[in-house]
Amino acid sequence: MTPSVITRSLGKRFGRKWALAHVDLEVAAGQGLLVVGDNGSGKTTLLRLLAGLLLPTLGEVEILGSSPQQPGSEARSHLSLVGHQGFLYEALTPLETLALWNRLGGRRKSVAELENLLAEAGLAADRDTRVSGFSSGMRKRLSLTRLDLENPRVVLLDEPFSALDRAGREWLLSTLSRLRAGGAALIVASHDPQRAAPICDRAVRIERGQISWQGSLGDLESAS
Amino acid sequence: MSTFQQALFVARKDLLLGWRARTRTLAVALFGMVTLVLFSFAVAADGEVGVSAAAGFLIVALLLSSILSLEESFRLETEDRALEGLLLLPVDPVAIFYGKAIANFVLLVLLGPVLLPLTAIFFSLELDGANLLSLALLWVLAAAGIAAPGTLYASMTSRVTGRDVVLPLLLFPLTLPILMAGVRSFDLILRGDAMSQLKGWTLLLAAFDLVYWVLCGALFSRTLEE
Repeated sequence: MTPSVITRSLGKRFGRKWALAHVDLEVAAGQGLLVVGDNGSGKTTLLRLLAGLLLPTLGEVEILGSSPQQPGSEARSHLSLVGHQGFLYEALTPLETLALWNRLGGRRKSVAELENLLAEAGLAADRDTRVSGFSSGMRKRLSLTRLDLENPRVVLLDEPFSALDRAGREWLLSTLSRLRAGGAALIVASHDPQRAAPICDRAVRIERGQISWQGSLGDLESAS
Repeated sequence: MSTFQQALFVARKDLLLGWRARTRTLAVALFGMVTLVLFSFAVAADGEVGVSAAAGFLIVALLLSSILSLEESFRLETEDRALEGLLLLPVDPVAIFYGKAIANFVLLVLLGPVLLPLTAIFFSLELDGANLLSLALLWVLAAAGIAAPGTLYASMTSRVTGRDVVLPLLLFPLTLPILMAGVRSFDLILRGDAMSQLKGWTLLLAAFDLVYWVLCGALFSRTLEE
């Protein structure tokens, strides 16, 4: 079976500094890969390269057989990225935000369906509140609602559990488990392997932009 | 959803954001008004010289105000990397460009009803219905000629340190043809067109508009690469 995500000798240089170098990865459909590493090790750069938001200096990325580097490409219609930033407009309400992603993403969900998504994320009561009035946890929940809206085949998450309370973490885990059971490939960058454990089966450690270790999630602790 | 529909949706989103941040939008109009007031005090605002200067000051006021409007348009996109959120969708970048350029164009056109009457008052212009219609048409053409390259350069400079300085440095030279053709056309309307030159200048303005809207749309995706 062809992996959903493939990187071949992937590298990215900012100025003179290599943020990532010679990264080879494969993640199959229905697999969960945890990416660990210290701050500045290259985890976020890896996710942004996979999402096509950065152009690689070296190597290539394949998402479901095509490159995500071209804006508007087919690969982008099958992937979702939720990172440190929520990609939110301060002056829009959650419902307007979902409507924007829904329409521009070529989806035709009704307002009632969008309201349901907000209700599942625990934001029903705030549907008409502008994002500027949201706490960081509420912003995170709204960003993560994108996963339910897009139902992606490749999910890229950067510290997905940060800012979420217990109920939020449980909601996120159930969403990710459902997506994974439906065949989505998950790549999760996190400092918290225990929280990501239910949805990941493999792990890679990145140090100074290079993969220093990879194996099963169970071996991660002993390798640390 | 076609590229055209996507562009209209992006434009609608930008206009809604502009409306929600209307204090800022009003500040842009106020800036244009203050610019005109300063010009009217700096130069004798009556007689032939005043009429001649009015055309230039009006377009320069539009150009200066546009910088604030264009910067704001991309500040909202970079605040929480919202533009990246759009790029992650299967949206044609061309649609994002035209959507944002249309919204910027509309906001610049809306400065017309504020700045045109003010110019008429400060520079003692006598305008009849036909003149007003011609001036309004030229205002639309001038706004279009600034909105397209302005959107392109505002995108280019949105992640640059010192973008407040870099944007006008890049944009002003490119809008020189718009400035020249706009000022000449306005001047011919205000002072009379004895040699029938107005049509030529207006066509030149429209031609530059067309070139800018096509070229900037084609180049926009380059400004998004990191």
